[in-house]
Amino acid sequence: MTRIVVDFERCEGHGLCEQTAPEVFRLDDEGELHLTRDEVDAEYESVVAAAVRVCPVAALKVQP
Amino acid sequence: MKRIVVVGGSIAAVTAAQSLRAEGYGGQVTVLSEEPHPPYSRVPLSKGVLAGRESVESALLPLPSEDIEFRTGARAVRLDTSGRTVTTADGTDIPYDGLVIATGARARRLTGDSDLVVRTLDDASRLAARLAAAHSAIVLGGGFLGMEIATTCRTLGLEVTIVDLVPPLLRLLGPWLAELAVAAARDHGIRVRVAPDGVEVLDEHRVRCGESVLTADVIVCAAGDVPNTDWLEDSGLALDAGGGLVTDACCRVAPGIVAAGDVVSRQGRRTPHWTNAVEQGRTAAASLLHGESAHPYRPDPYFWTEQSGLDIKISGELPLTGTPEVLAGSVDDRSALLRWHREGGTATAVAVNHRLPVIKLKRLGAGVPTPVPARTRART
Repeated sequence: MTRIVVDFERCEGHGLCEQTAPEVFRLDDEGELHLTRDEVDAEYESVVAAAVRVCPVAALKVQP
Repeated sequence: MKRIVVVGGSIAAVTAAQSLRAEGYGGQVTVLSEEPHPPYSRVPLSKGVLAGRESVESALLPLPSEDIEFRTGARAVRLDTSGRTVTTADGTDIPYDGLVIATGARARRLTGDSDLVVRTLDDASRLAARLAAAHSAIVLGGGFLGMEIATTCRTLGLEVTIVDLVPPLLRLLGPWLAELAVAAARDHGIRVRVAPDGVEVLDEHRVRCGESVLTADVIVCAAGDVPNTDWLEDSGLALDAGGGLVTDACCRVAPGIVAAGDVVSRQGRRTPHWTNAVEQGRTAAASLLHGESAHPYRPDPYFWTEQSGLDIKISGELPLTGTPEVLAGSVDDRSALLRWHREGGTATAVAVNHRLPVIKLKRLGAGVPTPVPARTRART
């Protein structure tokens, strides 16, 4: 399992994570980021890694 | 292809390298980055990192996966396309079967190497140290970067003047939005000096604007960027007049060679923005592996800036002409959702201090790009 950590102070709501992995990342009507789950299994690991990488403000991290 | 070499170390390079794996490529992937640092985002450099509020480490991006070799301090100096070899500054020849060129761009300097700029992490650290001991600054260049640097200077309590040959942001945004941002800048205490007759840096502290001379503790140069293609001069690859590397719609440069990011010139212009670097990185990887069956790159014209108390997010092509439709909020309050209709039926949507999901902004503007599914079973 991989754990997703969001730095909400940094998040500017650009939504590139949502565009890359909509199964896991969701922006609400205020543009606030929500995770549909905090931990992901192997099935989603690579798509989550791609979503974390495209965050322009480096607000997302994954922890094993 | 046994080995793919990616030249560059920023988001386009790392996205391309990682996309090769996502597309199922099982050979060797080597990334050559000239910088001493692991990959990082440049976005916080003009803001939190420059203000000293955020650590250098906070700008770092996740490292590429372990099946990708990431070399730091490896500056490419020559490309031999017939021998399929990249040569680095220390004289090492690195053979490749496929090549991704993502060497980005560097800051345009007005006087020389001693100019203070904000492009790399080291540039930002150097300037942060100078600003911490300064009372005043002059920022040369009124683009997004210059306005963001000026805003950070104000946050640090410095007196700051933006100097440019043309009104700030005008060429980039068009008159309506540029005027709104410049009004906010003046309210933020940023002085704006337009010098159509010319700007000349006299020394480390003095700038001539037309008839007068301005002085400040620190002069920052934010006068645009230059593509890093010097190392390709003898390669035979086509460069445009500005030095950008010419690619087709699928990011292809030549057989076995693709390119992505700020270095790319496509349809006669470069589009040095984060979302383009990401989309081109993905497209370049797919084109290299799948050749003729590759999908053309779908531009995602999404831009943003934070300056003078304004949070501006834009979906659609720039610059903007005419007056926008106000979809929500109030222009007088500088908090509004705006839309410009463009010739040809497209639109550009702009959120100014107006919170909404960016996907909604894109639906109102350029549209939401549909991700091209990775072909996980493909082997090359």
